Amino acid sequence: MPREPNAVDFWRGFALITIFIDHIPGIVYASYTLVNYSIADAADLFVFLAGWSLRLMADGGGRHMPTRDVMLRLFGRALELYAAQVLITMLAIALLATSAIELSNPLLLQWHNAAAVFNDPVPTHIGLAVLTHQLGYFDILPLYVVLMLMAPFFAAIDRLWPRQLLPLSVALYVCVLIFRLTLPTWPVNGTWFFNPLAWQVVFVLGFTFAREDFGAGLLARRHIGLLRVLAVPIVILGVLVARLDWWPDPTEVPDPKLFFIADKTYVTPIRLIQFLSLVALGSLLFPYIRALADFAPLRRPVNGLIGLLALLGRNSLYVFCVGSLLSLIGQIVRFYYRGSVLIDTVVVILGIIIMALTAWLAESRQRNRPAPPAPSAQQL
Amino acid sequence: MALAPARAQNAPAPGQPPLSKSCQPGASALTAETPLPRVAEALAKRKSLRILAMGAAPGRITARGGGYTELIESILENAIKGVDVVMINRGVSGELAANAATRMKNEVALEEPDLVLWQVGTNDALAYVGSAEFAATVKDQIAWLKAHKVDVVLVGLQFAPQMLRDAHYARIRDRLRAVAAQENVIVVRFFEAMQTIEQAQREGAVPVAEDFDRSEAGYNCLAQYVARAIALGVFAKAMPKRELPTAPAK
Repeated sequence: MPREPNAVDFWRGFALITIFIDHIPGIVYASYTLVNYSIADAADLFVFLAGWSLRLMADGGGRHMPTRDVMLRLFGRALELYAAQVLITMLAIALLATSAIELSNPLLLQWHNAAAVFNDPVPTHIGLAVLTHQLGYFDILPLYVVLMLMAPFFAAIDRLWPRQLLPLSVALYVCVLIFRLTLPTWPVNGTWFFNPLAWQVVFVLGFTFAREDFGAGLLARRHIGLLRVLAVPIVILGVLVARLDWWPDPTEVPDPKLFFIADKTYVTPIRLIQFLSLVALGSLLFPYIRALADFAPLRRPVNGLIGLLALLGRNSLYVFCVGSLLSLIGQIVRFYYRGSVLIDTVVVILGIIIMALTAWLAESRQRNRPAPPAPSAQQL
Repeated sequence: MALAPARAQNAPAPGQPPLSKSCQPGASALTAETPLPRVAEALAKRKSLRILAMGAAPGRITARGGGYTELIESILENAIKGVDVVMINRGVSGELAANAATRMKNEVALEEPDLVLWQVGTNDALAYVGSAEFAATVKDQIAWLKAHKVDVVLVGLQFAPQMLRDAHYARIRDRLRAVAAQENVIVVRFFEAMQTIEQAQREGAVPVAEDFDRSEAGYNCLAQYVARAIALGVFAKAMPKRELPTAPAK
């Protein structure tokens, strides 16, 4: 039986739908997603919640697991994510190629970093396999693969020296910001859009805060009231920055500049602080949303919404993969039908229905499995 | 601007990058010479040039494995003797102009380029972003770059014969050209150049590229046009305006 809706699954479902919409550039509904009201966006939420779920996996889902087994299990998960990335990338390439042929339009072969795949397939296929060549909007999963490859070490450090994990992660993050360390792309000369060396801090923060009885997680829970008071002005400022374009001029900030500018690639401190403030306040919301269901006229829509988002969140890898492909299909459809509010609405509604169907099918498959030997760990 | 005459006195006679034969028909891609004062200043002061490339990343475009930005770098280094060109590629494919504009500001702060090479418009056109909104974004960004003493060369929309019939695509192209003219910045008219080359191919003037090979060949030509636009921009003040030569590359 799938687990009951909870806040983590709910917000992960929210992040998945938001990413699906944000990855269809130009769509009218992209003007209303989180990124329009915040410095941080759904990507931060997705990675943070992935770290949160890592806690459940690393702790063995309530069973005691030896550290070695946990590390192997997490490494296996990284391989699973890698396989998913390779699969959806190949499908995306096939989608672009099919569209280019069917619409007789070679322009589509140059979309989203696909030009190198078709112009220069020999090295680019190596790049695709080793994740140094990423299609546009298919660049979150490579980040996730690298984070999951780091995860066994995070879990081991957490078991052996639990107080050291967060300081180590922050130290690496600070070094990355000072020295601008990043991973290169190849064969096209550039850098990763999501720098895993920086984003690991979001992942580790999720992992750390998920632990209720120790360290930063315990501290945050003890002082959540104060944290929420501090978070209010930061979140309001974030809304003003995003809505009124109040970004600081990045050329005028002191060195090292990455400490003072809002940058997604390096998930810089301004972005990180605003995101953590959002988490502090957002963690209030789920119980209130659930409480709305006690009000009879709202019961069905509220329960429906919670059920839908939690369903998506419980099956997030499948939903993310299908959502990524749906975003690309949405772009092609918008291009073909010349984008309009009607088309955009159809794309979003159908997209969410297909994502929900994917999640439902994934759970049906689990339900119909004969006598599982152990509860499946965590969907990520 | 004030440094341009000094540059003219000290500099060796400027080399003008030649165009390969198959790219010559598209020389119309280059608009009138427009000065690039920050680039000229960088060359005069430190004999080096930092170029930040934003936009699509087409991969290898030469038989020896060079990419679009590498080819621009090598053409410029051959054309302007003794100069060290550093290309910083920060293209994110599929990115709309508005998102690129926000990211570009950070990249300018971090990389301190003398010149931004911005390929812009195709994604906005394909995503049906309003042409007025697109033009305002590009205009604001050019103003920001000028205020921060960074030159800019725009690269226009990509070409596909099917897009000749697309009214929105044409509107975005027109808006980009109008903004560039209004702001007096160079725009390499990629679409028109490829259109002319395709016409020349049909008339047998240059070898015909396979349909899907055209983008590769197109980027090869584009690198040549961009390098030439930059070279011409550097010496625009020093040299009288002239017709673009059509001598084939050796």
